[in-house]
Amino acid sequence: MLTLEGVGKRYAVDGTEIVALAGISVTVAPGEFVCLLGPSGCGKSTLLRIVAGLIPPTTGVVRIDGRPVTGPGPDRAVVFQDYALFPWMTVRDNVEFGLAARGVEPARRRQVAMELLRVVGLADFADKYPHHLSGGMKQRVSIARALAVDPALLLMDEPFGALDAQTRYVMQQELLRIWRSYRKTVLFVTHAIDEALYLGDRVLIMTARPRRLKAELRVTQERPRDIAGAEFGRLRKQALDLLSEEIARSMAEEAQGAVPA
Amino acid sequence: MKGAAVDQVAAGAPAVRRRLVLTREARLGLGTVVAVVVLWKLVHAAGLFPPWAFPAPEQVVAAFARTLASGELLKNAWASVQRQLVGVALAALVGIPGGLLLGASPTFRAAFLPICRLIYPIPGIAWIPLAILWFGVGFTSTVFVIFFTGIWPILFNTMAGVETLQGQYTEVARVYLAPRLFYVRKVLIPGSLPFIITGVRLTYGVGWRVIVGAEMISSITGLGFMIDDARWQLRPDIMVAGMITIALIGWVMEQWAFDWLERATIERWGMKSTRR
Repeated sequence: MLTLEGVGKRYAVDGTEIVALAGISVTVAPGEFVCLLGPSGCGKSTLLRIVAGLIPPTTGVVRIDGRPVTGPGPDRAVVFQDYALFPWMTVRDNVEFGLAARGVEPARRRQVAMELLRVVGLADFADKYPHHLSGGMKQRVSIARALAVDPALLLMDEPFGALDAQTRYVMQQELLRIWRSYRKTVLFVTHAIDEALYLGDRVLIMTARPRRLKAELRVTQERPRDIAGAEFGRLRKQALDLLSEEIARSMAEEAQGAVPA
Repeated sequence: MKGAAVDQVAAGAPAVRRRLVLTREARLGLGTVVAVVVLWKLVHAAGLFPPWAFPAPEQVVAAFARTLASGELLKNAWASVQRQLVGVALAALVGIPGGLLLGASPTFRAAFLPICRLIYPIPGIAWIPLAILWFGVGFTSTVFVIFFTGIWPILFNTMAGVETLQGQYTEVARVYLAPRLFYVRKVLIPGSLPFIITGVRLTYGVGWRVIVGAEMISSITGLGFMIDDARWQLRPDIMVAGMITIALIGWVMEQWAFDWLERATIERWGMKSTRR
């Protein structure tokens, strides 16, 4: 169980205080797939990094099964947008990284890595270096690396944002398949409405000004979801309305701030 | 495995072809070298300089052949190369860990970077008199001078490499709970390798350039000594033969050994060299 209690983040930039996040409270049930949807600059990646333990919140607390998060832990793994694979390691060594860091013996490590590479369909590429792989393949390796440490919570920071539309679609299905068979809790950050609604059990919509949670959409539609269907269309319209209100407001604010010509 | 072998063949093939059939670039480069030699011969033939100060190209070739046959050239070249290798190795041994520490630890940087910046502008040659006082004439003092000249590029490049690496790779290491030493071995050093190799390359270059000066003053062997000694015999042909030997050895190391090292590591990983 992941709980966020009044999580906020403020930065001081040149003496001015910037509010990156304010008063975020969420509860995510074990095995739930939750998407964080919002325009760029709404602080959704900051929130993910706080949950990962990479940065501390200024206010509030993140708890996993009741214990406060004070840094990265064995119960969480992160999949980054630009894969963040180590170019000097083979695909297999990349997948083994988390286990090697924890001192797991080589034979066991290798076994886990090869099994996961089979799951993501890259067993034949185990000895390749990442630069031989396409973007979609790199992201599969990154997912395998995250699964290798068997985390309860999988944190994904716009993982498919850099992929082309078709690869993206394939990867979304792949992720759902993996999520079903490994029963991980997933926190998935995205700015794409369709992606959030296609994947999530719940979609949390974040606003940019102020940077807080605005609304929550519960998607009860059976998977695989028909993105051309009426129910999906209704949810999409709802999400779009919530977001465009937001975008319109921030544009208006920017226009006010600008010097008139 | 199979893929790697294919890559090597693919990378090696054009290089082999270049050596057999000269490319346009190679013809232009070689043409200029030939033109310079011809010009040199013409200047010599015109008698603009006295013969004891200005050798003809063929005299240099003869001096080269003679010193090679007598073993004098190889003996001195080996003496220089030995000092160079030991000096560069020492600079790397101190410079790489030092650079890693300077880049990774703000405390270490605050303590040691100012003194490094202070010593850095002192030319290697300026250390020679002190080196002779401390170590006498010969191997140790020359190595000392190479070390103090060569340590800076490798130290500062390694530091820059670590600073460039901080960020996402470091975050991945944190997410997966990598212990400090594991992080240094598996992430920090390989991740900084493009900078480290460039650093060693520069160190090699400045070391090789200073060694000759050092040997002229502080040694009785080596290519620098051979060149300086030829002055007393009024033998400019031996001087130039020694200079060309220096150029050839430097060229082979800088163009071949380091290029090979880069191909074997950072190019294989698809990373970019930091040169140019």
